[in-house]
Amino acid sequence: MTQPQGTVQLPPQLSTIAPEVDAMYYAIYWISVASFVVIVGAMLYFSYKYRRRPGHEAKPAGHATVLEITWTVAPIFLLAWLFHAGFVTYMHGVVAPDNARDVRVRGMQWNWEFEHEGGVIDELNVLKVPVGHPVRLIMSSSDVLHSVFIPAFRVKRDVVPGMYTTLWFEATHLTEERTCERDADCPEAHFCGRADANGVRTCALPLFCAEYCGAPQGIQDSAGRNTNHSTMLAEVRVVSQEAYDRFLEEGPPAPAHCDAAEDPAACWGEGLFSQNGCNACHSVDGSRAPGPTWQGLWGSTRQFADGSSGVADENYIRESILQPQAKIVTGYSGVNMPPYRFSDRQIDAIIAYMRTLSE
Amino acid sequence: MTVEAGTAIPSSSSHAEEPNYLTHETGLKSWLFTLDHKRIGLMYLVSVLLMFFLGGVMALLVRTELLFAGETLMEADTYNKIFTLHGAIMVFLFIIPAIPGAIGNFFLPIMLGAKDVAFPRLNLLSFYIYCAGTVLALVAIVVGSVDTGWTFYTPYSTRADSSVIWMTGAAFVLGFSSILTGVNFISTVHKMRAPGLHWKRLPLFIWGIYATSIVQVLATPVLAITLFLLIMEKTLSVGVFDPALGGDPVLFQHFFWFYSHPAVYIMILPGMAIVNELIATFSHRKIFGYMFVAMSSLGLGLVGFLVWAHHMFTSGMSEYATMVFSALTFLVAIPSGVKIFNWVATLYEGSISFLSPMLYGLSFLVLFTIGGVTGLFLATLATDIHLHDTYFVVAHFHYVMVGGTVFGFVGGLHYWWPKMTGKMYDEKLAKVSWFLVFVGFNVTFLSQFVMGSQGMPRRYYDYLDQFQPLHMASSGGAYILGLGFIIMSFMFVKSLRSGAKAPRNPWASAGYEWMTTTPPHPHNFEETPVMTRGPYDYHLCTEEELWDGFDEDFQPSKKAKA
Ligand code: HEC
Ligand SMILES: [Cu+2]
Repeated sequence: MTQPQGTVQLPPQLSTIAPEVDAMYYAIYWISVASFVVIVGAMLYFSYKYRRRPGHEAKPAGHATVLEITWTVAPIFLLAWLFHAGFVTYMHGVVAPDNARDVRVRGMQWNWEFEHEGGVIDELNVLKVPVGHPVRLIMSSSDVLHSVFIPAFRVKRDVVPGMYTTLWFEATHLTEERTCERDADCPEAHFCGRADANGVRTCALPLFCAEYCGAPQGIQDSAGRNTNHSTMLAEVRVVSQEAYDRFLEEGPPAPAHCDAAEDPAACWGEGLFSQNGCNACHSVDGSRAPGPTWQGLWGSTRQFADGSSGVADENYIRESILQPQAKIVTGYSGVNMPPYRFSDRQIDAIIAYMRTLSE
Repeated sequence: MTVEAGTAIPSSSSHAEEPNYLTHETGLKSWLFTLDHKRIGLMYLVSVLLMFFLGGVMALLVRTELLFAGETLMEADTYNKIFTLHGAIMVFLFIIPAIPGAIGNFFLPIMLGAKDVAFPRLNLLSFYIYCAGTVLALVAIVVGSVDTGWTFYTPYSTRADSSVIWMTGAAFVLGFSSILTGVNFISTVHKMRAPGLHWKRLPLFIWGIYATSIVQVLATPVLAITLFLLIMEKTLSVGVFDPALGGDPVLFQHFFWFYSHPAVYIMILPGMAIVNELIATFSHRKIFGYMFVAMSSLGLGLVGFLVWAHHMFTSGMSEYATMVFSALTFLVAIPSGVKIFNWVATLYEGSISFLSPMLYGLSFLVLFTIGGVTGLFLATLATDIHLHDTYFVVAHFHYVMVGGTVFGFVGGLHYWWPKMTGKMYDEKLAKVSWFLVFVGFNVTFLSQFVMGSQGMPRRYYDYLDQFQPLHMASSGGAYILGLGFIIMSFMFVKSLRSGAKAPRNPWASAGYEWMTTTPPHPHNFEETPVMTRGPYDYHLCTEEELWDGFDEDFQPSKKAKA
C-alpha cells in the first residue's frame, strides 16, 4: 500500500473521513478564491478606471434596491448549502460505528496514556491502532483541558476533566516502519518518534495536544519531548489487525535488544525505570532523592507513616506502583508519587530489575 | 505647480490664527482635568498607541522565539507569558478602546456638529477608569505571571493562584470604561445632533460607533457575572467551573465567549466605520447603499450576540448546540458581505485618489475579504474540526482584527491626523510604510494559514521540523511589518516636529469634520452649524468647501466650466 500524498494545504488523507473533510475544504477554498477574485478584481478595476485625474468627476451615488436585495439574499443559498454539507460530514465524524474498538485515553500534563481493551496499557505516548477498523477514543483528563488532534485523520476533540468525550476514526494505511534520526527522515506528515530502550527511533504520525495546557514554571530545559503543551505529543502507529490483536493479548512487548541480555526481564525493567521517569525520584545507588532509593529495597522491611510495617514483596511493590498512596513510607509523606499503570508483564520486569539492586 | 493626478494636497491658506483646542489653554492641568472630548481623545490616543507598541514588542518576541524549533530565546514558561501578554494587551488595552476611545471621542461630536459629548465629565471619568484598568491588568499579568493565554480557560487558569480573578477584574474595570463611553456616545448621537442632521444624514462612522456602543453596553455586564462566579468559587469553594468541586469547565467557555464574541464586533465595527469615511472621501462619492450599510452595522452587532459557541465546536458540547451555532454563524457572512459589496460599488463611477489613508481603506477591503472567506472554513463544522485551535484560526482572526481593525485605525489615523494635530505628514514615507505593513502582514499570516491547515496547533513553543520553513517565513514577515510601523512612527514624529501646516480640508472631503478650522476650534465650530446637505453629498458642496487651496487643475467643476 503506498502512502497517499498531501497537498500544499492539507496533510495526506490517512483516515476514512479525511477525503470527505477535504472535499468540503476544497469546495470552500474555491468558493473563497472565486469571491476574492471577483471582489478584489472589481476593486482594482474600478480604482484604475475611475482614478482621480484632471477633468474627471465622480457621479453622485444613488442606491439600487434590487441590487442590494440580490446580494443580501443570494449568498443565503450558498451559505445554507455549506452549513448543511458541513453538518452532515461532521455527524459522520461524530457517530462511531457499533463495531468500533474502544481505547481509553487519559490526558495529563504533558503525557498521553492509552488503555486498550482488556486493560492493556501501552507505553506512555504511543497509540497503536488497527488499520481498516474503526477505533473509538474515550477520553478524560486528570488535570486541565487538553485536546486530541491527529491532522492526518482530520479529527480533534477536547479532553475535559470531569467528563468523558469521544472521538472515532478508521485508519486506512499502515504506518511504515522506518527508523529515523530526525523528522526529515520520515514520510510526509510523520515525525521521528522517541528513542525506545534500544535507542532506536522510528517514524510515526503525530497526535498533538491542541488545547493549551501550560508548561512547568521556572524549569530549565523545557525543550524535551512531553515537557510542556507544545511537546505533549503521542506517536500514532497504525498496525495490521493481526498485529493489533497480538498486542492486545500480550501487552506491550519487551524491547528486542533485551532478548540477548543475561536477564531479559531485568533489562526490560531497567528500560521502563528510566523511560517512565522513575529515576527522577528514586536512586539505585543509595543516594538521596525525593523518593526512597531502590538499592536494597527488595525484600527489606518497610516502615510506614501510619506506624505499621511490611515486607517489600511482589504484592507490595505492585501496589506501591499502581496505588502509591495506599502505604506511605515513613519520612516520605511530603512528596506525592503519581500512580502509574503497567501491564502485569511490565510490573514483573520492574520487579526483576529491582531484585538485581538487592543482590 | 505640477503634481501627479490624484496626489495633490492643498497648501494652507494663511488666515489669521484662529483659536484652537490645542493652544487656547496650556499647562499639564489643562490636559489632566480637561472636559474637552478632543483632548480626551488625544489622551486615549497616546495611551492606546503605547499599548500597541508594548503588544507589538511582545509579538516580535513571540515570532523570534518561533524562528527556530526548540529554544531560541526563552524557556517555554516565559514564552507562554509573553504570548499571553501579547494577546491580552492587544485585545483589552489596544483594539477595544482604540477607535471608540481615541478617534470616536475626537470626531463623534464634531461630526454631529455638537460642542461636546452629552456627558463630558463621564467621558473624562471613563478615560481614568481605562487607565486604572490598564494598570490593574498589567500588574495582574506581571505580578501574577499569568500564562493562560488571553482566554483564561478554566481549570488551568484557576489551578495555581488567583491571578485570573485580578485579570478578569481588570477586564471588567476596562469594560466599565467601555460601558460609560458607550452610554455617552449613544446619548450624544440621540440628543446632540446639529439642526438638519437627521438620521439619514448621519455619517457612517457615527452609525458604526453607535452600533458598537450598543454592543458594549449590553455585553460587558456578562463579564461581571463571570467575575462574580469566579470569586465565589475561589473564596467559598462553590463549584462552578472547577471539576474538582463539581463544576463544569466548559461553562466558563460559554461565559467567556458570551462576552468575548460580541467583543469581536466591538473591535471590528469601528474599523468598518472608519473605512466608510475613507472610501467616501477618496472616491468623492456617497457610500453606495448608505442605509443598507448603516443597518448592516446594527445587524452585525445583533448577530454577534448569537454565535458565541462557534469557538467551542470541539469542546464537547452537544451536537445540537453545535448545529445551531454553526447555522447562526453563517448569518454573520450576510451583513459583512453587504458591506464589502457596497464599498466596492462605491468605487464605481467615483473619482478615486490613492493617498495613504485610501491605501489603508483599499487594503482593508482585500484583507477583510480574506478574513471573511476564511471564516467560512471555520463556520463549516466538518472543516472546523480539523482547523480549530491551529494556526489557521490565528491567521483568520489576525486578518480580521489586524487586517480589518488595525488597518482601519491606522488609515483613520492618517486621514484625521492633519485635523487633530494641525500638521501634514510626509506622504512618501507614509506610502513606504504602508507598503511594508501591507506586505509584511500578508507574509506573516498567509504562511500561518498553510501551517494551520497542515496541522500546526496554536500556542506552541516548540514544533516539528516539518513546520520550520513556514515559521521562518512568518517571522520574516513580522519583521517587515515591524519595520513598516517603525517608519510610520518616524513619519508621524517628523510631522509633529516639522510638518507643514495643515489646511482646513486637505483631502477635499465633504465630511462635516472638515468644515471646521484646523485644528478645530475649542468648541468645535464657532457657531452651531446647520446641516443643509449630507456628509457625502459632493455634488451639493460649494467649491470653497471642497477645493479651498487646491490647484485649479484639480477642481473638476472649474475644468468642466472652462
Ligand atoms: C514524583 C517522584 C516520584 C516518581 C516520579 C516515582 N516515585 Fe516511586 N515513590 C516516590 C515517593 C515519595 C515514595 C515514598 C512514598 C510512598 O510510599 O508513596 C515512592 C515509593 C515507591 C515505591 C515503594 C518504595 C518503598 O520504599 O517502599 C515503589 C516500589 C516505587 N515508588 C516505584 C516507582 C516506580 C516504578 C516509578 C516509575 C514508574 C516511580 N516510583 C516514580 C516518589 C516517586
Ligand atoms: Cu495538553
